[in-house]
Order: sequence, then structure tokens, then C-alpha cells
Amino acid sequence: MPELKSLPFTRIVATPMALDATIWPAEALAFRAANDEVLLLASSLPTIADPHAIILPDSGFVGVWLSAEALQAIFEQHCEWALPATRPVFVQGAVAGIAAKLWLEAERGLLIVPAAYGHDFAERTGLA
Amino acid sequence: MPVAFEAGDSVLVTLQRAGLHPNHGGCLCAAGDCPHCLATVNGVAYVRTCQTLAQPGMIVESFPTDDYPHLPPNTQRGPTVSARNLHCDVVVIGMGEAGQAAAAAATAAGKSVITLDDKAGQEVVGIYPELMVVARTDTGMLHIHAHDEVVVATGAAEIQPVAPGNHLRGIVTPRAATHLAAKGVALGRVVVVESGGAVNLSTSPALNIVAHRKGQVLQFEGLDTLKAVVIQDDNGLSQRIECDTAVVGLGFTPRDLLVRMAAGLKVRAVGDAAREADLPPCPNAGMVCSCSSVSAADLQRVWDQGFHEMELVKRATLAGTGPCQGVVCVPHMRSFLATRTAAADPSAMPDITRLSKVQAPFTARPVVRQLTLGEVAAGAHHHATPRTGLDAEHRRLGAVMDRIGGWWRPWHYGNPLAEYWAVREAVSIGDVSTLGKMIVSGPDTLAFLERLYPTKVSSIAAGRSRYVLILDERGYVMDDGLICKDSDTRYTLTFTSGGSSHAEMWLRDWAEGWNMDVRILNQTMSLGAINVTGPLATQLLQRAGLTQPYKFMQHGHASIANVPCRVYRLSFTGEVSYELHHPVDQSAKLWRTLMTLGADLGIRPHGLQTLLQLRLEKGHVIVGQDTDFDSTPRRIGMEWALRMDKVDFLGKPAIERTNKTVLDKQLVGFEMSAPATFEGANIMYEGEYVGYVTSSTHSPLLGKVVMLGWLKLVNGALPSEVMIDGRLARRVDVPFYDKEGGRARA
Repeated sequence: MPELKSLPFTRIVATPMALDATIWPAEALAFRAANDEVLLLASSLPTIADPHAIILPDSGFVGVWLSAEALQAIFEQHCEWALPATRPVFVQGAVAGIAAKLWLEAERGLLIVPAAYGHDFAERTGLA
Repeated sequence: MPVAFEAGDSVLVTLQRAGLHPNHGGCLCAAGDCPHCLATVNGVAYVRTCQTLAQPGMIVESFPTDDYPHLPPNTQRGPTVSARNLHCDVVVIGMGEAGQAAAAAATAAGKSVITLDDKAGQEVVGIYPELMVVARTDTGMLHIHAHDEVVVATGAAEIQPVAPGNHLRGIVTPRAATHLAAKGVALGRVVVVESGGAVNLSTSPALNIVAHRKGQVLQFEGLDTLKAVVIQDDNGLSQRIECDTAVVGLGFTPRDLLVRMAAGLKVRAVGDAAREADLPPCPNAGMVCSCSSVSAADLQRVWDQGFHEMELVKRATLAGTGPCQGVVCVPHMRSFLATRTAAADPSAMPDITRLSKVQAPFTARPVVRQLTLGEVAAGAHHHATPRTGLDAEHRRLGAVMDRIGGWWRPWHYGNPLAEYWAVREAVSIGDVSTLGKMIVSGPDTLAFLERLYPTKVSSIAAGRSRYVLILDERGYVMDDGLICKDSDTRYTLTFTSGGSSHAEMWLRDWAEGWNMDVRILNQTMSLGAINVTGPLATQLLQRAGLTQPYKFMQHGHASIANVPCRVYRLSFTGEVSYELHHPVDQSAKLWRTLMTLGADLGIRPHGLQTLLQLRLEKGHVIVGQDTDFDSTPRRIGMEWALRMDKVDFLGKPAIERTNKTVLDKQLVGFEMSAPATFEGANIMYEGEYVGYVTSSTHSPLLGKVVMLGWLKLVNGALPSEVMIDGRLARRVDVPFYDKEGGRARA
């Protein structure tokens, strides 16, 4: 069973306008967690057009890539809300009673939770 | 006793064929509607035996005659039940003709449809807000989320008779008679009574029908088992007929419990579930609700007391609150109330069924089926308690862990006294990762914080920190923490562990309300924090890579044990202290390196028990423990933390107002001899209650008990000596230890 691992995010808090205008690196996964916040998985940082932006590495999240089938099994058992049908898509909500972020691609998906809840999440979903 | 069964037999059929009744009596419906076939099956109480297939080895127990089913022993843990979440547009419950038609129509309209049918082992137990249908299956619970609507096509239940003796064995509904006969159950001499409901048993030629009458049952006779039935015909003539089984037809009532619990939701009934209910004769005697042992006499009693509405009669008698949830009693309660109402209003007679005075059934509530605790809990989770990046380290070290301030935290590591002395005499490390940590950045940051905090933020130099009280708009102390200036447009803020979850909302709320151009980042869960404290703390950190000295309340960046840290020089323990904020995934590395480097310095980790003891010696307040909902800075003796000469800050108008009132109580320090009293102990003065203890500990260093507590002013002054726990205690100034603060600033 795949395990939750620390994710090397860069956390960016900036004005919504600056985030909207940012051109993210081609290979990057940029998750818009809030109007003013992006979680970035990338080897390089883009320019953010906000001189007051807070841009910091953040190891406070753990995650795991799972196949679509494995994700479906977890969602059926632990997710009370309906996932959107479109792919790729980034969504957030409670999974197994814990605030989670989900990046869903056609054949796989990335499950992300705060590291502080990683233990409970793994225990509840069988990812331990 | 062992009984034989055939494949496909229900438990009820199996027992009836063996001449047994699953419970003590009462009319059987064999359709899952009534409570009369309930039994304990394989240790699970309230199982509807008519809906349960017999299995080899199954153990069926009837309930005690004068008690509820026994609870299983508390050593017996029930099985974990899983829940499966499904999503669709339409849920159709019941797959009879009406249900099939509804499902077909929805499918034809392009809707995704999920159908549920108890005959397929899907027993719906409730419909909840947001259109969630919960069903029980053999493999677990289904939580089905309907986006459009729920269609209830559950048909109608047969109305059961109410007359003296209706608790006896041998009474069945027409459907049950047909079903049992078809299954080869010997019903003996059968009397059929049509009491408003037509009964056609022609499909059951095996039945030995000795009489078929129209009329009302006046009495079922027998001791435990039916021996005879007394019937009154439409002409008022009564007749007693000996029999073994009475089949009584009283018409139908819709199975609409699921609809009645879904007011305001898109739930509709179709088919017989939407039909008008037949109204049985008014019950004058006999058991109306066998679930809650409510008789016709009980209905009359509450009527006489003034309970004339269905909802009130339900609450007054508890009729309808038992296992069948009113399926059996509601028709009779409606008939009773309609008849009594009509009798009180002669213009309503003679045909009460045509009147609007027949009250609607009461509101139904989930669940309509009894569930095990495992089934109830399926899919539910406890609130998860977060763990710091050092959680595994604490447990490896044998720490006693507890949930404190919303986190799992180490209480102590087995020897709290040794932990205490390590801090006071050598060096110790503690996990303070749980502290709230926020960054505020933007052109309006200074203006924002000036308005938010009661201190003069502009006087904090870059690289310096200041302790602050956090007030709400009523001037009460809400939290405390640090303001640390990083640059003219960026500050780092800390909050207490318990207050951190609220802090982000609080900051964002005011920033938005005041239209401040700031960015806010909550780093509480992203950063670990280790407090290095004790007279040898600086020495330890120098070994770990700290190259420059830090002054008290100074902060900066440094690599400690090759971990990038934000270093804060401060003190909560009263000794030289450094908080090392660092990436949470490197907490264990930093912790272990410090433990190794400090081994010859006598390093020990300290838990929260020790930390609370140390801070109390210094008289530091813990917001939420020492403060109350009405604690102002004046009451807690911390007006020094306010700058009332500022133009404005959150809570300032309230502070100005409350400062004009007479001070009535204050948080103060006390000392007394050992042992320490409990926190919450009353403080007495001249026999009168004058306050309570908020924090209490025995100080190993001072050799006495030190306390904080709320003390009322008596005749305008704080008593200097009081009784706590029956012992004399002296009021003293805080801090108790190192009053000049020289040790922390060393």
C-alpha cells in the first residue's frame, strides 16, 4: 500500500490578481487552495507580481499518488461529497473526516492532507 | 431448541412453523411494519424476524417478558461496519410497481438512478438533510446522496386491530395469513373479520376458515394464545367464535415514515405510499402501542388532561416512539382524536372521516429501523487530533501523551521532577510546535496590527519581539502571544496553542472588515517549534551552530544542527530560552541532535506538566485557564501591556468604559504550605466565598505551594490572607520566582 510522504510544496500567498496573472512553470502543479493562496509543486519558482507576496517552502503537507481505482475505493468509503467529473481538477473537502486536498488526473490522483493529520488519515483510510 | 427451516424461510416463518412465536404475542404482519416479531438474533436486539432469512446456527431469543432486551456485555465489541457513499440524481425506495415506474421515468429523463428495496436486502433507515438516504445492507451501510430527489414507493401497511386481548398469539393481518399459509404454517381454525378492510383469502385454500364476518372485534380471548374472538356486527349483535387464529382486515395506512421525516426536502411518495390512510374504528380498549405499552385507556387519560394534538399525545404517552415508529398506533391515535374531537363538536358528526378534523400523523424522525452502534457509527469519524512532527519521538521516549490545547502533547516523560530540575539547573527541550504561527505581509501591515493590538507596534524594531495581549472588541482578553517584526511590511505573530485555530479567522475577519491590504499565512502546522531552555541553553545552541548571541526578545534566522531555524529568544519558563521554529519535517532531526549534543550538559526533554509548573512559578497567565470570559487586562493585573495613549485599538473603547467602574475582582498570586490544592478550589475569607484557584502547583525550588486565583475585593480591598482548601494562604505579588527576571534575560 502506498504511504503518505512529505510533499515539497512552495506556499504562495499573494493578491488574487497577482496569482491569476502568474504563468506557472510547465511541469508545475499549482493548486489554488484559496483565492489568495497557491500550493506549488515545481522545481523552479515563477515571478509573482506582488511585492508583498509571502513565498515560503512548506513541508506541512503529506500526500500520496493513487490510481483512479484506489482513489475511488477510498472516496466511496470516506468521502460524503461528490467529486467533479472533469479531469484534471483540484478540489478540497473532508475525506475520512479530515480536511484534504485532491488533485485528480484521468488515471490517478494526489491525496494531500496536513502532516499533523497524516497519522489519523492513514489509519482511517488504510494507507498506514 | 433447534428448529428446522427451508431455504428462503424467514426466521418468523421458521419459528411459526415450529409452533413458536418470536416474541410474546401481538398481531403479526409479516411485512416488517409491526413490532410483534422482534427478537434478539445472534445477539442483536430488535431484529425483525419476518424480514430476516433463517441461517444455520442462528440463535434467536425472545425479549424478557418484563424488561427490555439485554445489552450485550461491555467486554463484547461489536463488529466495525463500513459505509459506502454513492451519488446519483434520483433515489427510488421500494421496487414495487410504483417504484419501478418512477425509476423508469427518471432514467428516461436522463437521470442517474439508484433503487433500493428491502426485498433485495437494502433496508432504508432514514433520509437526512441534503438528501442523504441511509440504508442498511448485509455488507454495510449505504450513504446515498441524491442530487435531485428521492422517491418513496414503499407501499402501504395493514392496520392492526386494537381490542382487549390484542397482545395474544394467534392474531394476524390478511397478508400475513396468506404468507404464512403459503409457507406451510399451520394456523388451525381461522376466523376472518372484516373491520372496514376487505379480506380475500381465496388464494390460500389451505386455510381452515371456520367463520368470515364483517364487524368489529370486541375482544380477543385467551391466556397467552388466542382461544376465541368476540365480534360485533353492524347491527350491534355480538358473537363469540372459538378459533386458533384471527385474521382481521382494517384497511391500509401508507408507509410514509420516510416522507414524514423529510419536510423541506425533495422527497415525494408515489403509489400506495401516497394513498389516503384508512381510518379504523375508534379504539375504546386494548393495547394501541405495544412498543411503548400505551393502551386506549392511556389515550383517554391524556385526552382528559388536555392533550388533543397528535404531536402532544405522542409526547404525553410516548406512543409512536418505539421500534415500529408509529406504524401500528398512528391510525388508531388519529381515529381516537378525530372521534373525541367530533364528539366535542356535534356538528362534526356523524362521518368523522370526511372532516378535516382527522389530524395528520406526527413528524417522523430517523431512524425507522433499530441499528447497532456499529451501523450508526459507520462512516463517522471522531474529530482528529493533530500531532506535531515530534509525536513519534515523544512516544518513542515513553512520554505520557494527552490531548491538550487541541493537540496530542507529551504530559511528561516519566520523571517530571527531573524534567523540572533540568530546566532550572541545566538545559531541557520541549515541543512547542502547537503554538499558533502567522505571517502578515503587505503595505497596510503596520496599520492593521496597530489597530488590532493594544501595544504600540510601531515601536518594535526589526528583529525584535514583544509579548502582547489579544483583546476582543469588548476589551476582554481573548489570547496572548508575540509580535515579531521582520520588516516594515512583514510581521510574524504567535498565538497560544488553543487559540491558534481561531486566530487565522480573527485576523482575516478584521483585515477584510477594515479593508486592509495585507496577506496572511497560517504556518501553525507547517512549522515545528522546539523550546530550548535552561541556564545552559545558550551553550547547547552554540554547540549546535548558533554563531551570534541573541538578546532577550530578539529573533533571527540561523542554522541549528543543519536545520534552518527561525530563532526567538524569549522565556516562558523563567530561564534563558530559545524557540527554534523550523520545517516540520525536520523536527525529529533537530530534536535528536540537540539531545545528543546536550547529553553531557544533563539535557532532558520536559513535558507540559513541567512547563505549566515552571510558568506558574513565574506567574505567567495561561489564557483560558487563568482567564475567564470577562477577564479584562485590569482584572488580570496586566494593564502594563496596554498603550491607552494610542489613538485606537480593538477593545479600547470598552476598556475605557470598564476602567471607570469599580474594580470588583482580580487575578492574584497566593502561597501556602504543601500539598498543592486542586485547580478550581474555593477561596474563602471570613467564611464567605471570595474566589477560586485557577492554577496551583508545589514549587520544588521555593518549597511551597504557589497559586493563581480570582479574588473578590472585600470592602474595596483585596484580602491579604484567605482560606484555601481549609488552609491559610497568603496573597503575594507575582512572579513567585526570580522577581527581577534576571535569569530569563541572562
